[in-house]
Amino acid sequence: MAPRWRYLLAEVGMGLRRNLLMTLATVVTVTVSLALLGVGMLIRTQVDLARTILFQEVEVSIFLLDSVTEQQRADFEKELTNNPQVESVIYESKEQAYEHAQQIFADDEAVLDAIEPDDLPASFRVSLVNPENFDVVRSQYVEYPGVDEVVDQRDTLDRFFALMNQVRRGAIVVAIFQLIAAAALIANTIRITAFARRDQTGIMKLVGATNWYIRLPFILEGIAAGVAGALLAGGLLLLGMVTLVSGMREQIQFVPFIGIPQVLAVLPWLVAIGGGIAAIAAFLSLRRFLDV
Amino acid sequence: MIRLDNVSKTYKNNVIALRDVSVNITKGEFVFLVGASGSGKSTFIKLLIKDEEPDDGDIIVAGKRLRNLRNWRVPSLRRELGCVFQDFKLLPNKTVFENVSFALEVIGKPRALINRTVPEVLQLVGLGHKFEAYPHELSGGEQQRVSVARAFVNRPRILLCDEPTGNLDPTTSVGIMKLLDRINRTGTTVVMATHDQHIVDSMRRRVVELQDGEVVRDQSRGVYGYGA
Repeated sequence: MAPRWRYLLAEVGMGLRRNLLMTLATVVTVTVSLALLGVGMLIRTQVDLARTILFQEVEVSIFLLDSVTEQQRADFEKELTNNPQVESVIYESKEQAYEHAQQIFADDEAVLDAIEPDDLPASFRVSLVNPENFDVVRSQYVEYPGVDEVVDQRDTLDRFFALMNQVRRGAIVVAIFQLIAAAALIANTIRITAFARRDQTGIMKLVGATNWYIRLPFILEGIAAGVAGALLAGGLLLLGMVTLVSGMREQIQFVPFIGIPQVLAVLPWLVAIGGGIAAIAAFLSLRRFLDV
Repeated sequence: MIRLDNVSKTYKNNVIALRDVSVNITKGEFVFLVGASGSGKSTFIKLLIKDEEPDDGDIIVAGKRLRNLRNWRVPSLRRELGCVFQDFKLLPNKTVFENVSFALEVIGKPRALINRTVPEVLQLVGLGHKFEAYPHELSGGEQQRVSVARAFVNRPRILLCDEPTGNLDPTTSVGIMKLLDRINRTGTTVVMATHDQHIVDSMRRRVVELQDGEVVRDQSRGVYGYGA
């Protein structure tokens, strides 16, 4: 079917060139909407990744009073180790806590200056067999001699994750509105193209070309715009990944960050959604304005 | 080949285009459809290519009962019909050859067949020397010949012509009529809507006259007006 392919390519190319501005507007809208959608999807991946890893590392912190005696500390550690609810125990002394803080805030002079070696409490970092049993563990130890506070670190993280999820939902809602706008633009572009080519389509109908044969160049034109937008959105996401997340990765070392592989994993979805919505918009536009 | 049984058609704006029309056209006939503007000639043709639907009555074209013909089957009906119009409907950015080959390309005919049949049909219509010309470089008569070539290139069983000489001067019209006559002699059924009295009178073929959507005369070897 060599002539047929040549015909299709020529038609699609001509259609895109004919309304360059309109095509540009369409592609940009598709790009922005899909980039937002991609951000939403990536935030989810990020949160899931951080949640899994951080929850493994940090579950419960039991902060000790500065007045705790060596004996109390040793008894308490034994008590924790023997508790069947507890999976592992790591002791962090005041000195270690200070060193840890210095690592975390290595780039932040102001914080470094503000922290004195004596400021941070010693703590046990405890991971539980079942993290859901925090309340039981807390009530067991909160009155223990030498214990200051029992903190469920998941609370803190969950608040952070909840915030991230809000951002994600926001991004997706905006993305959906943008996608509707993109679909309308594609439908309109196709309408203009269809109008410009109505003589040709009229003859095609007259000589008995099938409806799909008539539709195909228009729909491919829409898909081309949709896929171009998706690829550009993928490029934007990669760019954002390289600049933004790499910076964050250096700043915040204890949180695992998603990387280029995760962006590449999102890309097929963007292409499918961009192409799919464009195809549907083009199809409906043709039904409405070309009667094919 | 073409059969209308008690066909009526009223447009949305309550204009009655056809009223209880029954006509039977057999294979190989040459039929003039005459009548004033607005008498229903164009509607008649549009119904045959299923561009419009009748409100009432039955239409059979090339063995297909149009009422039962699903939309996706309409292309197969149109491949058995050729259509020629008053305004030629040529694509201005395509050459003579491309305008004709387009009709075959878009129904998926192989390139080899296209390269064989298009020159043949262009020879037949007398444009064997103008393959590469563009429509705007041709006279009206030549443009209409291209249009006839395009309608005939797929060897349809029926050729429908809606005022094919309406934009042409009398001499040129005679040329087009000779061409249509030649095509008719190959066994192709030709239906031609016209109000060109000269042509109808000189050809002496079957005449179906419409007046306000009704058949008022159906006469073999007829002339344009009554009693001539």
